[in-house]
Amino acid sequence: MTAGDFENKNSARWAEYEALVRSVELGKPMPGVERLPQRFRELCLDLSLSQARMYGIRLSEKLNALVIRGYNLIYREKTGGWQAVVRMAAVTFPQTVRREWRLFWLCSAVFWIPFFALLIAAKYDLTWIQAILGSEGMADMEKMYGSEAGQIEHLRSAYGSNFMMFCFYINNNVGIDFRIFAGGMTAGLGTLFFLLFNGLHIGASAGYANAACDPKAFWSFVVSHSSFELTGMIIAGMAGMRLGLAILWPGRLPRPRALVEAAKKALPLIYGAAVMTGLAAIVEGFWSAQPIPSSWKYAFGATFWVLHVVYFLLAGRQARDAA
Amino acid sequence: MESLKEKLDTLQAVELAEGVEIRLRIAGPMVRAGAYLIDFLIRLGVMIVVGIGLGFAGMAIGDKVAHGLLLLIWFTIAWWYPVYFEAGKRGATPGKRMAGLRVVQPSGAPISFGQSLIRNFLRFIDGMPWITYGFGLASCMATKRFQRLGDLAAGTVVVYERIPPEPSIAAPPPMSSSRPPVALTADEVRALGMFRDRAGLWSEARRSEIADHASVLSGAKGNAGVGRLMSMAHWLQEKRDS
Repeated sequence: MTAGDFENKNSARWAEYEALVRSVELGKPMPGVERLPQRFRELCLDLSLSQARMYGIRLSEKLNALVIRGYNLIYREKTGGWQAVVRMAAVTFPQTVRREWRLFWLCSAVFWIPFFALLIAAKYDLTWIQAILGSEGMADMEKMYGSEAGQIEHLRSAYGSNFMMFCFYINNNVGIDFRIFAGGMTAGLGTLFFLLFNGLHIGASAGYANAACDPKAFWSFVVSHSSFELTGMIIAGMAGMRLGLAILWPGRLPRPRALVEAAKKALPLIYGAAVMTGLAAIVEGFWSAQPIPSSWKYAFGATFWVLHVVYFLLAGRQARDAA
Repeated sequence: MESLKEKLDTLQAVELAEGVEIRLRIAGPMVRAGAYLIDFLIRLGVMIVVGIGLGFAGMAIGDKVAHGLLLLIWFTIAWWYPVYFEAGKRGATPGKRMAGLRVVQPSGAPISFGQSLIRNFLRFIDGMPWITYGFGLASCMATKRFQRLGDLAAGTVVVYERIPPEPSIAAPPPMSSSRPPVALTADEVRALGMFRDRAGLWSEARRSEIADHASVLSGAKGNAGVGRLMSMAHWLQEKRDS
């Protein structure tokens, strides 16, 4: 059979296939779309034949392009919808955090050790903190948490400012989580840098608030959202370190393969970190700065720290391993 | 197809589960930079329109609310715009679509939402130092399939969605068809076919210059050689019954 005969014999089938593919591509499947997989497999055979019989580059490329179009439609991954979201929150995410417990302690140490070091240092010597915050940072701290309690409540009294700050925290803090994750691609250095930097900066701020501002104004503001935000950041750090370690220490896999596998393992961590930081933004925007008695805020903050511990220790224990 | 793998080429042969080999043409950094520029302009345009709109809306809903919405929309566009579009049915951002590109797995299959998220969040590192995309470019140059760091981690490649057809104008069909004097290899048959398909692009002198390289096969130089090659190609492609 020559190329011409081959084309004449099959072109009607190819035209039908192309019409089906186009209708699905446009999102308006035409009647008879259930024949698409069959037509696709027939087309694959036709392409094989045209390659093996050397029917020429023109025909091969035409069929090649048709096969690729169908392949892209037929092999699309379905996302799981709401069930998948619920499973991610209730099972996969806490399970992944538990499975990566080494990374959890590593990232926690990189953040909390400098944090507490500076918090304690503030009691004895402010020079380190002054060096980290700078004069502008110190002025900002005094403006927000200055001597008189309720400064930040005052700043937030304008109409819509709570919503604006919520949006600001989403953009800023969730963005930081994503950068912490991306930083893992530099063999983990970027992730470690961000965690260390945040530990130093947040520790310095807290230390300065204790030493030079009104501690109650500061702590009652941050306590409510601290559990979501700081744990979220540490989990974003875990995702980044998962990538970084795959580059440094690929184990038995070739490095590119190890990197892809590590990225898959890091995915639940990124989703979780983003949601936690988003929740932190809601709390920080609409609750933390409200004129609520500070004892309530401390109780709220403590409750959520306990709930976080419970969630990460217990959630998804009974469920079968998702991986 | 064996020989294809050894050649320096952006064509990648991939075998599907259906047992057929498809060929993907990998896209290089230049065309991808163009697609990125289009996306950048689209996003810039959206932000300008939204900014102006919210500027007016601010009078009704309050400046702070409008400012907050602007931040929220900026966050969505900055981080999620490429993730959403590349995980979608077209597998490409509007810019990539205009440039005729698509993001796929190395197997040619469409990418998942997670892969799209990973490759686009790692853009932050690819874009370094500052926003020069130096790391991404270096990574593209160092890998066989032009993968930037985000592509490496997500296991994705950027390919041309439609392989542009090779320019071909077939010469007028020859009057005769003749069987080649010896059995030809697959590559040789392909070369003859391409010679015939593209001969219409060349001047007569160029045609015979190329045909002279195959004078051992045709047994003639100049125009006579061209004619014989043509008739052999005709025999191979169309008239094999003689």
